[in-house]
Amino acid sequence: MSVRGYVNKNSLKRRKVVDTFAKTVFRLCGFISAIMIVVIFVFIVQRGIQVFFPGYQFGNIDFLSFISGFTWRQDQMIYGVFFIFINTLITAFGAALIAFPLSILSALFIAKIVPKRFKIIFTTVIELLAAIPSVVYGVFAAGVIVKWIDSFASALGYTTRGGNSLLAVIILLAIMIYPTITTMAITAIEAVPKETEEGSLALGASKTQTYFKVILGSARSGIVAGLVLGLGRAFGEATAVSMVAGNALVGPTLNPFDITRTLTTTMLSGLKETSGLDYDVRFSVGIVLMITIVITNFIIHRIKDKLGGEKA
Amino acid sequence: MNNIFTVKDLDLYYGDNHALHSIDMAIEENRVTAFIGPSGCGKSTLLRCFNRMNDLIDGCRIEGNIEFRGKDIIKDKVDTVELRTQVGMVFQRPNPFPMSIYDNVAYGLRCQGVKDKKVLDKVVEESLTKAALWNEVKDRLKSNALRLSGGQQQRLCIARAIALQPDVILMDEPTSALDPIATSKIEELMESLKKDFTIVIVTHSMQQAARISDFTAFFLLGDLIEMNSTKEIFHLPKDKRTEDYITGRFG
Amino acid sequence: MTKRRKISDFMANAMTYFASFISILMLVWIFFYIFSTGMKSFDFKMLTTNYWSTNYKIEFESPDAGSFEKPGSLGDSVAYSVKYGVGFEDVSTKSGTMDLQVVYIASDSPLNSGTNAVAGETLGQSQSIDLGSNVQRITYVNSDGSYASEGNSKGSSAAQLAAALDQSVSIDSMQYQTPGGGVGGSLKATLMLIGMTLLFALPVGIFAAIYLHELAPKNRLTRLIRSSIEMLAGVPSIIFGLMGVAVLFPITAAFGIKSTSILLGSLTLAIMLLPVIIRNTEEALIVVPNGFRDGSLSLGATETQTIFKVVLPSALPGILSAVLLSIGRIIGESAALIFTMGTFIMDKPTLTQNATSLAVQIWSVMSGENPNFGLACAISIIILVIVLILNLTIKLITARLMKKWSA
Repeated sequence: MSVRGYVNKNSLKRRKVVDTFAKTVFRLCGFISAIMIVVIFVFIVQRGIQVFFPGYQFGNIDFLSFISGFTWRQDQMIYGVFFIFINTLITAFGAALIAFPLSILSALFIAKIVPKRFKIIFTTVIELLAAIPSVVYGVFAAGVIVKWIDSFASALGYTTRGGNSLLAVIILLAIMIYPTITTMAITAIEAVPKETEEGSLALGASKTQTYFKVILGSARSGIVAGLVLGLGRAFGEATAVSMVAGNALVGPTLNPFDITRTLTTTMLSGLKETSGLDYDVRFSVGIVLMITIVITNFIIHRIKDKLGGEKA
Repeated sequence: MNNIFTVKDLDLYYGDNHALHSIDMAIEENRVTAFIGPSGCGKSTLLRCFNRMNDLIDGCRIEGNIEFRGKDIIKDKVDTVELRTQVGMVFQRPNPFPMSIYDNVAYGLRCQGVKDKKVLDKVVEESLTKAALWNEVKDRLKSNALRLSGGQQQRLCIARAIALQPDVILMDEPTSALDPIATSKIEELMESLKKDFTIVIVTHSMQQAARISDFTAFFLLGDLIEMNSTKEIFHLPKDKRTEDYITGRFG
Repeated sequence: MTKRRKISDFMANAMTYFASFISILMLVWIFFYIFSTGMKSFDFKMLTTNYWSTNYKIEFESPDAGSFEKPGSLGDSVAYSVKYGVGFEDVSTKSGTMDLQVVYIASDSPLNSGTNAVAGETLGQSQSIDLGSNVQRITYVNSDGSYASEGNSKGSSAAQLAAALDQSVSIDSMQYQTPGGGVGGSLKATLMLIGMTLLFALPVGIFAAIYLHELAPKNRLTRLIRSSIEMLAGVPSIIFGLMGVAVLFPITAAFGIKSTSILLGSLTLAIMLLPVIIRNTEEALIVVPNGFRDGSLSLGATETQTIFKVVLPSALPGILSAVLLSIGRIIGESAALIFTMGTFIMDKPTLTQNATSLAVQIWSVMSGENPNFGLACAISIIILVIVLILNLTIKLITARLMKKWSA
């Protein structure tokens, strides 16, 4: 029996048309996904800078006083973002200062030290910490961390506003970015070739010395990537931080028991209206946030390249 | 005798790597032609030119031409999808799809829009019979093809290819992943298939080439060194390098 | 080894133990706090009930008294009306007032025959009384034909109300207030949000992954596309919220939606989840053996046929875990939704209106003057349980996938 007779003459043509069409759709979806980052950037910048230009319908903000101001009072139309920027840097780097060492130590423990059969417990713990949504962290911070700080402060003779404080934000963010950095660090440590480890052991170094000196050094690139990711999360975290920050009107805040205000809490505060200057200025703050993240990434990567000759 | 493929001055590049050097050859219809040579000599690469499977590799560039029944198939205008229904292929590792035995054999025809159950049933039975698999699987056509043994899987792949009733079946070391018993079954099968199909087979085993093929081509480092009837190649090789290879002095 | 080296090694090792156990402590502490605080307020009924309390006035179809025995499960603190088969209890509320709550209604009680008595669309429709409702006033008919009423608004206690009812011959009408504090609306909005987001994000994400892995040439443009998508993954969610307002709001507005809405929220989240879906789908495509593709193409299938008939079915488990991962992200997301869906809790959410997801409801009840920790933790329990189940399922799928292809 010849099967060719049963194949519709037009079927090949139709298949080719469907094939071309489907491939075009696939390509289009790829391009759309890629172009979104540009769309986000362009639209937010466009909406964020309009408040500085004359002709903006709801009044103007002076650009210089915006980027250099130390007061944020929407009720008095005073918008100074500089102290908020500084506060954001303090909270994010403060959190990283606590979380980073803990993350590295935990990553070493989980990747190298812990016996195989207990490893699953620790990896699951890290995964769960990473999976907890930020509002839940916020509730925990507002219910536990804040009260703890309040009593700690009064024991030291300070008063706080119910515990809402810079320190609360830092601790909250440290808990939140810890699983992020740890996960990346574990991946990086496990990717270090066995030969590197054996080479060090063969030179008479102890296991612990090998872990801390050789393995951490070889995994540097991935660990730094984890730090960058963690800092990105700390800079961008909004809802949880807004539950414990206290929204200070002036700053910057260096006293750990004083209330603070970050870029994201500023964007979230007083969301009653959906248009006008008060609304659009959130986009201006958003630009500052994006620039902060980009510049921090850049600087950290430069520092990494300076510290070691490794190019990865 | 008719030549089904004529290769003229064919050069193939993977990026900067010049993998085939001006190959000229002809493949006779309804015969088994074997390509032999050490690893990396370009024999599989040439085989994949006959159904344009090299198109899938990034940076692959072909110059020269191959005529299939007098029609150049290297030029872009040739429809590779249609070409592949006429030139089937069996791969080194058995690669049945993760679906039922029946669906595997019917796959090619269904892709071409054949839906008639009667036609499909008939083709599936005929193809499996030709591939000497029918008696082993006729009671479990709906079970998953991945549960078959390696040799059965490879015969299923042959059945799948002949279901389309192609003119040519290309075989890329079809027995290298199989045990000796499964291998001999496939070799027997090839003997019976050459009545209906032209077979081009790449093989690592000189014994296999000697056993099953009518013609043999010997490749070395991207060059076609010698091509002749299998008898001549193995008894009176013209080139010193061919002789060295078949007597086992290298490779 | 020297003694000093041994000591320093021991210290370094001890530090890694310490750091890792802190992480366990942290997790346990968080779960303990959320569950111990939330369990008091958690109740499976809250999954279906409204957040806002509503006032109802109902009349009864079959108002005559009967005789109903008090079930043994009701304690002494419950005042029970034998004639109507209903139990009341005095409950002090969080705001310090006393509620007169309905805690039990017999299945054939006359109180179940209520119909809505307030003019409007629902007039005359049957209305069942939610347990926990606060009785404002029940008007009843005495044996001499006179009308009287008792209830919270008249300052009656549960015992007084039950005693008064047991002297009456029939009930006339009842005014009550539903308990509120539920998450039914937010749960519904969350489900709508998940459905709509996946509807937008899955096709685009999966197709983009197919393009990148199956079709795209290895050149600079493709690398640029990849790094753009990678950058998208690093954008904070609050920025996506702004993007939703700036870019997508005008689009939904063009379809006549005047406010922020569930639709806007899901479009925003769809874009936010693209990198997640693309990355996970691509990882699933990578493990599909190349032999499948070669085999299919060599049989004269087009690339599209190969993708849909052979490649995607094999990648399905991986795509499924991408879906579960996305659902987890949608449930946990708050910042982007605050901008694109608002913070006002809706009991009857619709696609084209403001609403809160479960996570945003937490933010809403926490960000007022009096944060409601009980409700916030109760909702957190719901979210945590869902997230746990999702994570476990993803792990199982991944483990099975590994087994399948390594066999």
